Amino acid sequence: MSFAWPWQYSFPPFFTLQPNGETRQKQLSAWCALALAYSRRHRLPAMTVREAQDSPLFANRRLQRILCGARAPACRPLPSLPSAVGERLLNPHPGKLPLESIQVVLEELRKNGNLEWLDKNKTSFLIMWRRPEEWGKLIYQWVSKNGLTNSVFTLYELASGDDTENEEFHGLDETMLLRALQALQQEHKAEIITLDDGRGVKFF
Amino acid sequence: MHRRGVGAGAIAKKKLAEAKYKERGTVLAEDQLAQMSKQLDMFKTNLEEFASKHKQEIRKNPEFRVQFQDMCATIGVDPLASGKGFWSEMLGVGDFYYELGVQIIEVCLALKHRNGGLITLEELHQQVLKGRGKFAQDVSQDDLLRAIKKLKVLGNGFGIIPVGGTYLIQSVPAELNMDHTVVLQLAEKKGYVTVSEIRSSLKWETERAKQVLEHLLKEGMAWLDTQAAGEPQYWLPALFTELYSQDITPEEAKEAIP
Repeated sequence: MSFAWPWQYSFPPFFTLQPNGETRQKQLSAWCALALAYSRRHRLPAMTVREAQDSPLFANRRLQRILCGARAPACRPLPSLPSAVGERLLNPHPGKLPLESIQVVLEELRKNGNLEWLDKNKTSFLIMWRRPEEWGKLIYQWVSKNGLTNSVFTLYELASGDDTENEEFHGLDETMLLRALQALQQEHKAEIITLDDGRGVKFF
Repeated sequence: MHRRGVGAGAIAKKKLAEAKYKERGTVLAEDQLAQMSKQLDMFKTNLEEFASKHKQEIRKNPEFRVQFQDMCATIGVDPLASGKGFWSEMLGVGDFYYELGVQIIEVCLALKHRNGGLITLEELHQQVLKGRGKFAQDVSQDDLLRAIKKLKVLGNGFGIIPVGGTYLIQSVPAELNMDHTVVLQLAEKKGYVTVSEIRSSLKWETERAKQVLEHLLKEGMAWLDTQAAGEPQYWLPALFTELYSQDITPEEAKEAIP
């Protein structure tokens, strides 16, 4: 089944960060929803901002529009709008470089807990269409439903074992799995432990 | 010596003649009025009979409905006037338009966040029909316009803007003056408009064009596109035809419940 793009994806202005505050909010919500849906569908791995600009998610080839980053050739600086308000929206830090559109969307995703920067320079990131806490909740639900509190599991058993085959978290990659378990650990529902051949987790 | 036409006597005579003419005129006018009144009454009775006989047809057939209403308009009867009264009770026509008005408001509220409160008559028609389902009475664009005109009278912030061969329906109390309307009409062709197009088509100064465009941006009716070849384009979601077929999502439907 092919991915269902939202109407905004075919709307050229969607790829320009909107100067009007209310419209921009709607635009960012739509971008976040699209990014999460796309990332879930295509199982997006961690990527750099450069790579992201080339991804169909942020670049619509048919429309010839890209959600701009610093070096995207199609992007032009925004026109000067007569009002002072417009100016401030476009350039919140006068004297500094204006934020690139794609950075704004990524930051919005991060604020919602759906994105993690993988390095200090903010060049690589991972989109988490489901937040670690949400994964943790699912895992813990399975654990308590099956009376498995106080049991110990290897990470492998959890993510790839036969017992969890029908669970949504089956096949979850190790990074996300660890994040999920860390979230549970914070809630004192689990403890990540070191086993002979790797890591495991004990549930409470 | 009696000269004709002058002298106190003549003046008095003239006055009497004028009075008599006036009276005659009044009598004539009264006569005419009485006759017209009688005719109108007969007309009204015939119309009422007609309406009663063709009630079903009027309710079911949009074209028939238009013609019936034109007939009513000729004798100064408005079948949509208020929920009470002979016409709406007998035909239920008042209810029909009231219900339609409610549906129109629901569609406009649900789609407001997409299009900033502007929608073409076509799209409104499509969405209303979708909402009514297969077994409901057929509804024409003429019906929609009548219902919207009623809504305007009630002061719901509705407006009807002629563009191209059709209309844009405004459902938010945004201030749209002649300048804004004319730019909307210009944008209707391609779904977007540029400063240059406004300057060349309307012969305006750049500043005036920018003011209008910024107002439309501010009202959420237009979005800015800076990646177009040449100069920035201002697009209106209301005129974005690819949006028409999009169903109202459950989230949007929630907006329709006040």
